[in-house]
Amino acid sequence: MPVISLTVNGNPVTAEVEPRWLLSRLLRDHLGLTGTHVGCDTSQCGACVVHVDGKPVKSCAMLAAQSDGMEITTIEGLADKGKLHPMQEAFRDHHALQCGFCTPGMVMMSVALAQEQPDLDEAAVCKGLEGNLCRCTGYQNIIKAVMAGAKAMRD
Amino acid sequence: MYEFEYHQPKSLEEAAKLFADADDPQYMAGGQTIIPVMKQRLAMPSDIIDIGAIAELKGITVEGDTLTIGAMTRHSEVAGSAEVRKSIPALSSLADHIGDPAVRNRGTLGGSIANNDPAADYPAALVALGATVHTATREIAAEDFFTAMFETALEEGEMIVKVTFPIPQRAAYEKFPNPASRYATAGVFVARTGDAVHVAVTGAAPCVYRAKDFEQALDNDFSPTALEEITISADGLNSDLHASAEYRANLIGVLARRAVAKAG
Amino acid sequence: MEKYGIGQPVRRKEDVRFLTGKGTYIDDISHDNLAHAVVLRSLHAHAKILKLDTSEAENMPGVLAIVTGKDWVREDFQPMPTKSAVNKKIDGTPLNQPPRHAIAIDRVRYVGEPVALIVAETVSQAQDAAEVVEVDYEELDAVTDQVKALEPGAPQIWDDIEGNFCLDFELGDKQGTDKAFEAADNVVTLELRNQCVTAVPIEPRGAIAGYDKGTGKYFLQNATQNVHANRGTFADVLKIPHEDLHHMAPDVGGGFGAKNSGYPEPSLLLYAAKKIGRPVKWIAERNESFAADTHGRDQASTIELALDKDGMFLGLRTKTVGNIGAYCWTVGPFTPTGGSARTQGGAYYFPAMYYSAIAAFTNTMPLDPYRGAGRPEGSFQIERIVELAARKLGFDPVELRRKNLMPADSLPRKTPMGLDVDSGNFPEVLERTLKMSDRDGFAKRVAESAKKGLRRGFAIAPYLECTGGSPKEFAGVKFAADGTLTLRVGSMSTGMGQETSMPQILAAKLGIDFEKISYVQGNTDATPLGGGHGGSRNMEVGGSAVLQAANEVIVKAKQIAAHLLNSNTDDMKLSEGMFTDVKTGQSVSMEDVVAASFEQSRLPDGMEAGALDTDTIYEREIISCPNGCHSAEVEVDPETGAIHVERMWVVDDFGTIINPMLADGQVMGGIAQGLGQALMEEIIYDEDSGQLVTGSLMDYALPRADSMPKMKMAFYEDAPTAKNPLGVKGSGEAGCCGAPPAIVNAVLDALKQDGVLHIEMPLTSEKVWRAISEAKGS
Repeated sequence: MPVISLTVNGNPVTAEVEPRWLLSRLLRDHLGLTGTHVGCDTSQCGACVVHVDGKPVKSCAMLAAQSDGMEITTIEGLADKGKLHPMQEAFRDHHALQCGFCTPGMVMMSVALAQEQPDLDEAAVCKGLEGNLCRCTGYQNIIKAVMAGAKAMRD
Repeated sequence: MYEFEYHQPKSLEEAAKLFADADDPQYMAGGQTIIPVMKQRLAMPSDIIDIGAIAELKGITVEGDTLTIGAMTRHSEVAGSAEVRKSIPALSSLADHIGDPAVRNRGTLGGSIANNDPAADYPAALVALGATVHTATREIAAEDFFTAMFETALEEGEMIVKVTFPIPQRAAYEKFPNPASRYATAGVFVARTGDAVHVAVTGAAPCVYRAKDFEQALDNDFSPTALEEITISADGLNSDLHASAEYRANLIGVLARRAVAKAG
Repeated sequence: MEKYGIGQPVRRKEDVRFLTGKGTYIDDISHDNLAHAVVLRSLHAHAKILKLDTSEAENMPGVLAIVTGKDWVREDFQPMPTKSAVNKKIDGTPLNQPPRHAIAIDRVRYVGEPVALIVAETVSQAQDAAEVVEVDYEELDAVTDQVKALEPGAPQIWDDIEGNFCLDFELGDKQGTDKAFEAADNVVTLELRNQCVTAVPIEPRGAIAGYDKGTGKYFLQNATQNVHANRGTFADVLKIPHEDLHHMAPDVGGGFGAKNSGYPEPSLLLYAAKKIGRPVKWIAERNESFAADTHGRDQASTIELALDKDGMFLGLRTKTVGNIGAYCWTVGPFTPTGGSARTQGGAYYFPAMYYSAIAAFTNTMPLDPYRGAGRPEGSFQIERIVELAARKLGFDPVELRRKNLMPADSLPRKTPMGLDVDSGNFPEVLERTLKMSDRDGFAKRVAESAKKGLRRGFAIAPYLECTGGSPKEFAGVKFAADGTLTLRVGSMSTGMGQETSMPQILAAKLGIDFEKISYVQGNTDATPLGGGHGGSRNMEVGGSAVLQAANEVIVKAKQIAAHLLNSNTDDMKLSEGMFTDVKTGQSVSMEDVVAASFEQSRLPDGMEAGALDTDTIYEREIISCPNGCHSAEVEVDPETGAIHVERMWVVDDFGTIINPMLADGQVMGGIAQGLGQALMEEIIYDEDSGQLVTGSLMDYALPRADSMPKMKMAFYEDAPTAKNPLGVKGSGEAGCCGAPPAIVNAVLDALKQDGVLHIEMPLTSEKVWRAISEAKGS
């Protein structure tokens, strides 16, 4: 079995992985980071989005073995010593989550969008969330939250 | 997923050797198709040869009137590249509308064209732009490369290294996304390169193809109105859950006119 | 500083957990020695099982147990009878109900029906073993369409149920309605389908079962909406006392009705857990969810509207054939019958109405409630026929609605369907919605769209629906000596926010710090009964139970306060957390009273430490009637048929609003699911083979961020209902009632110039394009 070394939420991790393990499985089952969710099997829902070397990636469509040497950030690594990240705060303020299952992927994607396009507008948010499905909120509050979170990240 | 061996070669030679030595190997580029397929146990390769670490498969360069993109270049890199945006903005925009941001951060040009999904976007760009696919051993014209649904001219074990695109005077791509998967229900890429106009259609038929009657009409008059009188036959077009052949025929006409208008 | 009173948009307590990845959903739970299960499902819509051989699979690496129908027969495990409130045919005989076992015995009747449960050390090992279970099927003809299933010569799904007929049903005055039609100047008729859809909560279903040999008790952790009712179902299957099964729901990632049912898998898991002496986990894959989560809607209806020459409605007649799938599921036969009948006619005044329906068996995954369960169907039917009547007879669609809405002074009124409409002001709600909808700017927007080659349309859709679900609810309040308290309620949230809104009610009533209240739900050990969630009942029944508990606490607290102040209990008044003697002006805080309640020396005679702890059961007498009005503006591309819903405006009358932020969220979520049904969602089975065609998110389309309009919501709060002490009417399902007709009618308004009168849902771009082409041709 391949042995990989990577950084997860700032912590060095070495793990022996089966080749067929997905990154999502490594995070959830091996590292106990169950905030990364799996909602589908065809890379449509986006609940599993994490940052790989700073970029949003669907962790259910990447092998764990491929993450050797990489830096991974999951939803658990976003808040800074208990203080919510501005995007997390914005999601709460705008009631941009209900059941919370899509939320980790939604927040991770939103943080990446805001990092890439600090002045993103509504159309850019909608385009950016094309691969993240939510069944509860009707999206309007998510869009508002992403705009507000991006603004808070700029300020 | 079934069990397999995982390899990450650092060079083309190493990759080729691994491929030759394995029982039922499969190259993996970005993995955005093969991983979901394997997850559903619809494929069971003995060995996955991840070509992501091979340096010579990466990069974007412009030399003279040619844009070169390495096979392992991710969609987001094509979309974000200043060189691509400057030389072939239509290609940049196409890449920026494949899948979603997370998929674009993994999926690659080489992986996409090697898979030749009939609803993929890149095949239309390659065919309309008259691109050339470079493998380790030969060069294949795009039109000869895409042979049939999920089939290409690649030999067993042959790997795409890069694709070269002649830079057109004008080009544009329009697609009508499937509401569920967001693959192209139909997509039309229009390009004028040198004296030639090429129109390539994806999503609508089992394999990307050139719409020659459109090309002739546009040769004389590169404007949407030139296409208005052309009727598109539904014969041979795909008919499925999401769109009938007749509807796809309609979409091809609409998208072609819009692409021409967009190309300006 | 946040305010926590009733009517305040209190931010959610649960959000911090969900936003930091600390939610605990079913797949996040592990146990020592946990085994994993996969379900081998039928590949055929209809087939006899000739042979089921598990011998090779049993010897595969890691395999611990394989459960099949043979086990079920040997153990004499019981089928799961339906709890449909409509359970008799018109002639009074019981509905035709085949036995619904948790696993196929000798025949499969839909694609996805469980055939075997394979338990192994890992999921992969269980999958490997599932592939070598040998099943020989003899395929039988299948029928997946309920209208065809009732035709003579249709494949027979059950040998002893002739014609695939489950039951028939009628409600209203047939003769009176027939007379109204005879006397009418105009009759408009429309045949339509409310297509089959499914809920697709983003968290797939899953469960973990365990068995303790020492105590003989089982536990079940389950992504369910309803722990109490389903505990009874599973316990009855296994023939064990209900109290021997501890049923818990962890954080649940959305339900929308699809997690309400008594599914087959939990019983299989419980049996397997006992058999191997280890806990067993099963998590559905998404493709499994499409096949084996309950489906919803799927009604084929004929609607007839009788009007006089001025456009006044005289009568409404609806005939529906509802698909219930291969079995009577948990409440399946109720939806197309009683569930759809109650709110027929919507918010309009009808002198006469008659509704009749047949529920039919087909070779599909059975149907059960999906957000609204009959009311969205009824709402869609009335709003489509009214719109069609306006178009055909030349009335202005808004005007026709305006003149036929139940006048405010006609309430309270019992509709011809027996629905007790006690409060509301439907005309006022319609006017407010119109006012919000910027009608003055519409012509300009139409012109702007036209410049882009697009058509723009508008429609308005009043709706009237009703609540449902179990009428009883438990609430328990337990104080701790440190001043904190725990609130336990038997209703439950799968995302709607009751962890916030229920404590909000308690905090407001008791004047206690909201932050001190912790909330427990979804646990059969924590509450003696519970109705879970369904029928928009959480606030109406659960919230009322919390209010009742608060009031009972206050009665006792007043006695303590009076004792502390040497006052009379009758003189005590509670305001903002302070008890004041109205005669002396002396006061003591609720906090002090709580502290005193733990000190025997400070309590009046007859009270003991912990006296404030309160358990109560509230029972709803009559369901309430949420109502409101949606309007929609859409843009249609006539060349491709593509639709974009640009704007929606909504005014809802949910009675008292506890937390407007959460109520808004319910409306928007409902709109998204309504929009999905209107434009893109559909469960499709292949007509010949009965195979499920839309088996993944690659083929079943869900709304995304860019599918949604800009939505503006307001509440009409001047008509709280007297049917419950909170005055609430339930907000969870209303969006699904208003959005589909508003959107579909707006599209048809946009296509007025093309002469298109009707398109079946979902209004896919191809259907819209075809409708335009065909109208052009004719």
